Amino acid sequence: MVERRLTWLAAIVLLWGAAILQKLVSLQVLHHQEYSRMARARQEVVIELPAPRGAIFDRSGQPLAMSVQTESVYVNPLKVPDLGVASEILALVLHVDRAGLYEKMREAYDSDRGFLWVKRKIAPEEAESLRTLRLEWIKIQTESLRHYPKGSLAAHVLGAVNFEERGTAGVEKALDNELRGQPGQARVLTDVKRRGIDSQLSAEARAGTPVTLTIDERLQFVAEREIAAAVKTHHAVSGSVVVMNPYSGDVLAMASFPDYDPNASPEPGESLARYQNHAVSVPFEPGSVFKVITLSAALETTSLRPESPINCHGGVLRLPGRTIHDSHGGLGVIPMAIVLAKSSNIGAIQVGMRVGQENMYQYMRRFGFGQRTGIQLPAESAGKVYKLSRWGTTSLASVSMGQEVSVTTLQLAQAASVVANGGMLVRPRLVLKNGNQAAPEQPPVRAIKPETAITMRQMMEGVVLPGGSGTRARLAGYTVGGKTGSAQIFDFATRHYTHSYNGSFMGIAPLTNPRIVVVVTLNGTHGGEAGFGGVVAAPVFRVVATEALRVLDVPKDLPETESAKIPAEKSEPAYDLADADTRPDAPNILEEGDDENAADPAQPRAPNFQGMTMRAVLAEASAKGLTVLPNGSGIARIQYPAPGSPLHDGDRIRVQFKR
Amino acid sequence: MATMPTFFRRTVGAGYDVRPDAAARPVRVQPERDPFQLRALPNDDIFFYCKKIDNSRLVREADPQARGACWRAIGAACVLVAMLTSAFFPTVGTTLAGYRLEALRAEERHLLAEGRGLDLQEAELLSPARLDKLARENNLVTPSSGQVVHLDGNSDGAVAMVQE
Repeated sequence: MVERRLTWLAAIVLLWGAAILQKLVSLQVLHHQEYSRMARARQEVVIELPAPRGAIFDRSGQPLAMSVQTESVYVNPLKVPDLGVASEILALVLHVDRAGLYEKMREAYDSDRGFLWVKRKIAPEEAESLRTLRLEWIKIQTESLRHYPKGSLAAHVLGAVNFEERGTAGVEKALDNELRGQPGQARVLTDVKRRGIDSQLSAEARAGTPVTLTIDERLQFVAEREIAAAVKTHHAVSGSVVVMNPYSGDVLAMASFPDYDPNASPEPGESLARYQNHAVSVPFEPGSVFKVITLSAALETTSLRPESPINCHGGVLRLPGRTIHDSHGGLGVIPMAIVLAKSSNIGAIQVGMRVGQENMYQYMRRFGFGQRTGIQLPAESAGKVYKLSRWGTTSLASVSMGQEVSVTTLQLAQAASVVANGGMLVRPRLVLKNGNQAAPEQPPVRAIKPETAITMRQMMEGVVLPGGSGTRARLAGYTVGGKTGSAQIFDFATRHYTHSYNGSFMGIAPLTNPRIVVVVTLNGTHGGEAGFGGVVAAPVFRVVATEALRVLDVPKDLPETESAKIPAEKSEPAYDLADADTRPDAPNILEEGDDENAADPAQPRAPNFQGMTMRAVLAEASAKGLTVLPNGSGIARIQYPAPGSPLHDGDRIRVQFKR
Repeated sequence: MATMPTFFRRTVGAGYDVRPDAAARPVRVQPERDPFQLRALPNDDIFFYCKKIDNSRLVREADPQARGACWRAIGAACVLVAMLTSAFFPTVGTTLAGYRLEALRAEERHLLAEGRGLDLQEAELLSPARLDKLARENNLVTPSSGQVVHLDGNSDGAVAMVQE
């Protein structure tokens, strides 16, 4: 009896054990993956470790751009219990249009899409309100938001980022790889109350490298304030200022007007012109400031000295098919130094004739024209210098006074640095430090002899002294050298030079031991002499240079009384107009692209979408492998970059459609 | 005194029926009882009463062996508890430390984000445009170049005076 019971008991225990074993095999072998996944879903939380985009600082460590954490809301429309109620709740909390949100959710649901952003970059209060709802289908994701605490300050230098925090312009684009961080992931084991017990790093977060620029925010602010005021006062179209250290090439300020606030997204249909950095991307004919290069070449390649007589032919010079006039009264035979001080076109042409085409071309290249400076900014223009084979009969005359050549404000600053630092061509640089590492400086290249540079400095001082064209640029307590420039603007529609000018001033201070180079350009000034560089740009130079010398703590090299002798309002008239070739069929260098672009015919260029329908634009872009950002509806009216502009990797073409 | 069967009305189970027609019915023959089966309660021969038991005469004799065994058992149990405690202590400690660690990590992330927000605020407050506006409102002017003299000869230092 007992044995029988024991047998039964043993059998039951065996069966029980077998059942347990079977269940164990099922749990741990057969359905291991499934149950592991379920356990993980209940016990583990995957958190994203933030890797903020690297901040951008000015040279004194002031933040110009930084990223902060923000939150975004998304839903899986397929898992939302009631789309109507959901859109009602979300619209109420997030202050979005209920009907629009419902439509989007319905559309996503119908097309079987399991992901929909409801609102990105929400306010902390909105996120808190959503959390208190404790609705499972509302998902909140932490994202990074780029912020520019100084608003529009240095906007063209900094650029901007898109929603994915990828740089779209400026330093943000040029140094995108360094600035961009790599977010990490960690799996956190949680208890029933969702408190973390242990965490395991799945992917380490790699924060973006902070970048320190050579820009000084105080100088940048003054440069932007002054150029904006000058553009408005003189009813110009745009303007730019570059302040540079002539020895290191550090760009201390780079202002461009009109400007924009990188914190705000572009409005649909607005002009994209204000997003252009005029200092590096928009070349122009420099006019008389280019005479510095002509005279430097003359000092190096001819026997001409500052006191050498130059015949200005009474202000009129006849060339084959063209007559050149000096904008001021007829000058006779004057020393070469006065040619620069008075900005005589005919004198410059006479000097240029002595230099010769080949030397002139060589020195233009030595001063860095017709080639990119290599600054760490996208869309830099190389300007244009015709190859010698394309020079016409009057090209040498034109180039000598700053025509048939196109330059950028930055290139002019680079050229002025050659004179300021004793003859070395330094590459402008915008990045001081990359993380904790100092950015490498490119070794300078000798462009002209030191004695030539010193002579040029002395001659440039004559420009701001009484009788010169740039007396409004004089500084209190400092010696200054400079050159004014006023070039007529070519109208591509009528193919004529207009009575609008590019007024510019290129200055060095203090002249005895140069610490800064400042170049100011105003595009589209009017009113004859009132729009010339000596009137519109020289006063901007004075204010910006004064502030720069104060900030840099540069000791004065003149007694205060010395510089106060000639008040600005009593200064000489600024006769510095580069007389344009006014023939209707006259070619213009700005009609053609940059030199460096011309040298690379394989580089893709922006097609002309204007006048096309959206469907046609998209089809053509797709065929050419281009990314188009369409805006509006109807016919393509405006596009950026302009048709024919060179396209770089990752460039997108914005097209504005209108009916 | 009511008997238990009366109390529970368990007349059938005992093979005895008090109902009037019980005699007319055939008496159910009970099968042979299993020796292990508990006997059914009888109907009337159980009486409950209090019996006084005096155990005062019983004296427990000292048993040193049993006492020793008892202490040994207590000792063994204590050792077992100590061993188990020491075995589980690191695990429990790790779990508790894990809680603290994760809480601190979360706090660190939160503080870093907060710090970035404060840096941003500070940068906005130190914006040159804002400072310029404040200076104008308070009739402050920029000192001219050379007017500021750094007392320690270091231009980076904050100690400076304005030269009249």
